[in-house]
Amino acid sequence: MTKTRPALVAAAACLFAVTACSTTEPESAGGGGSGDVETGTGVTDSAISIGVLTDLSGPFAAGAAVQVTEFQAYWDQVNADGGVCGRDVEMQVQDHAYDPQKAVSLYRSMSSDIVALQQVLGGPTSAAVLPLAEQDSVYVGGVGWASTALGYANNQLPGASYSIQGANAVDYLVDELGIEEGSSIGVVYYVGDYGADALAGAQHAAEERGLTVIPQEITPATTDLSAQASALVQEGASAVILGAAPTQLASLAGVLGSQGADIPIVGMNPTFNPALLNTPAADALLANTYSILSVAPYASDEPGVQEANALYAEADPDGATGWEVPLAYGQAELLKNVLERACDAGDLTPEGVVTALGSADDVDTEGIFPDGLDFTQPGESPTRTVFVTKVSDTAEAGLELLDTFEGPSAKSYTFG
Amino acid sequence: MSYFLTQVLNGLSFGLVLSLIAAGFAIVFTSTGVLNFAHGSVVLLGAYLVAVTQPTIGFWPAVLVGIAGAAGVGVLINALLVRNLADPNPGTAAILMLGVDILLLTELTRRIGNRVLPLGAPWGADTVRFAGIALPTGRVLAAVLAIVVFAGLWFLFARTRMGVGMRAAAADGPTASLMGIQLARTGATGWALAGVLAALAGVFLTSFPAPGIAPTVALSAFLAIPAWVLGGFDSVPGAVLGGLLVGLVTALTVGYESHLTFLGSGFGDVVPYVLMIIVLLVRPQGLLGSKEAVRV
Repeated sequence: MTKTRPALVAAAACLFAVTACSTTEPESAGGGGSGDVETGTGVTDSAISIGVLTDLSGPFAAGAAVQVTEFQAYWDQVNADGGVCGRDVEMQVQDHAYDPQKAVSLYRSMSSDIVALQQVLGGPTSAAVLPLAEQDSVYVGGVGWASTALGYANNQLPGASYSIQGANAVDYLVDELGIEEGSSIGVVYYVGDYGADALAGAQHAAEERGLTVIPQEITPATTDLSAQASALVQEGASAVILGAAPTQLASLAGVLGSQGADIPIVGMNPTFNPALLNTPAADALLANTYSILSVAPYASDEPGVQEANALYAEADPDGATGWEVPLAYGQAELLKNVLERACDAGDLTPEGVVTALGSADDVDTEGIFPDGLDFTQPGESPTRTVFVTKVSDTAEAGLELLDTFEGPSAKSYTFG
Repeated sequence: MSYFLTQVLNGLSFGLVLSLIAAGFAIVFTSTGVLNFAHGSVVLLGAYLVAVTQPTIGFWPAVLVGIAGAAGVGVLINALLVRNLADPNPGTAAILMLGVDILLLTELTRRIGNRVLPLGAPWGADTVRFAGIALPTGRVLAAVLAIVVFAGLWFLFARTRMGVGMRAAAADGPTASLMGIQLARTGATGWALAGVLAALAGVFLTSFPAPGIAPTVALSAFLAIPAWVLGGFDSVPGAVLGGLLVGLVTALTVGYESHLTFLGSGFGDVVPYVLMIIVLLVRPQGLLGSKEAVRV
């Protein structure tokens, strides 16, 4: 007894110290009802806290910075207009540097303060965070377009998945660019969830349309695609679909051009970067390169995109432009839509936000994403429509919008 | 036939660029006994310096800046870090180099961001055509230059006092030191030479058919590691041979992948390592590496 008493006293002192250190006001910690809306973690009577886990010092730092600037400008504007559910939206940004371990630690430290994650940037980082966030019922927006993320009910995919992009690429080649039945098309893709997903969509569509796929697997270290391009020419490929990054697009286009192979190249959403138009591959890219986007390109004249671009130009007049600008704006718009649904349903707890996501159908973003996004079917892409763009030196940010497109094979693709 | 020749020439010309990098690994190893895992970032650094200085001073002066910068950083790494190691064993030095690589690469990645910096090479996307084969001009130049550089290296090591000194220092440092060879000087020369080769390789690794300078260049440089190892850790001619073999086998594997489907897709990415393992099984010292004498 004499031994346990000091221990108890110490424990009580520690507990007291910890409680005293807490900066959160007991009544603002949520957990109870406020007005008609039930609130929980990350929501007080005056503020809604959301998180962003992004890469501000790793390989995607430059594009990530564009998106953070746009997110902040968007929520500042929303707050100036009265906020969401009568509350200001406050954004916490943390840098995971493209490191999954760090992303998990940051998620752990952030999850007790936020109601939703606006974004977890990057494939491996989001793959690490998504299962944890699902267990905690925390909404996660914007992790790229891999179909693997569709399996999580708490994830909101910003537009068509890579498989739908790949299937539409084949449909567009056949229906609009005159690739005939019986032809072969090359698919050059990264090993991993991005490239493999794009390949799955393209393979499905090729079977439907009577084409043969010549697959060429590469890694991010493959920056010289001479051997791949020569092989595709040798095997008589009539077109090439690319599920990789801008460096591979420039190399592929350049080598095909130098070999006199005038065949269309169709890249998935992440393959184009306006900086490529300053490289020696510019002429080849301008000749015959397309990009299938899940989000409208910067040069789109849809009202939503124009608004996104104007907001960004004001926030960072010298900032880099590209599809990241409308994408960030659109993702923030999707989260706002879900938060408003949760508010209307009277449940702004993290679980309530995820439930509201599951009820979001017919979501309209004024042309940033295809109209009528449907998030009510878990495991399904929210849309089967994509934006078809062509590389252009006259369009802003290098991509000219040709069409919105939904091919028959993209419609018939099934998620397994 | 012209397809086969195209792939062979693609492979050999890319292989010579890998040889430049692999020779840098081998020279640092022979002159200071260090497994220089920071070499990939030095390659990227050389190319980065060319890209950022060429708009103001022109391409060729920028190449000189890149070469001087990469050589200078190599000498500094040796002088500040390697020579001051309390425990100068190869393992410690290798870990240290991994740390240097992470630091350099992080800083260069931060500076480059997600841009692709144009190299500004005057040959742009030009190609040389003969007998139905189109080869990028940059690669032809790289091949010619690499051959000249390797001839120069042979002359240095075989015919000059400095080169003979470096070989002596590599063979037996303490004895060479007693014979009056300054190990500090041979070490610094080795690191500087490796830096020069790295910058040259960086220029050709980032010019057409590659689009320009992006952080992934440092990854591409690691493709030279199997070339270095299979050639023999301590042999510059071995590194050259290794680079050529890796380039050739990779190009042919990718080029004939449709006939090699039983190996699975993407075998081209694996084949340099398969080749390395096969060579090491047959000749543990590498193709041209010196066999360690073991007294029994």
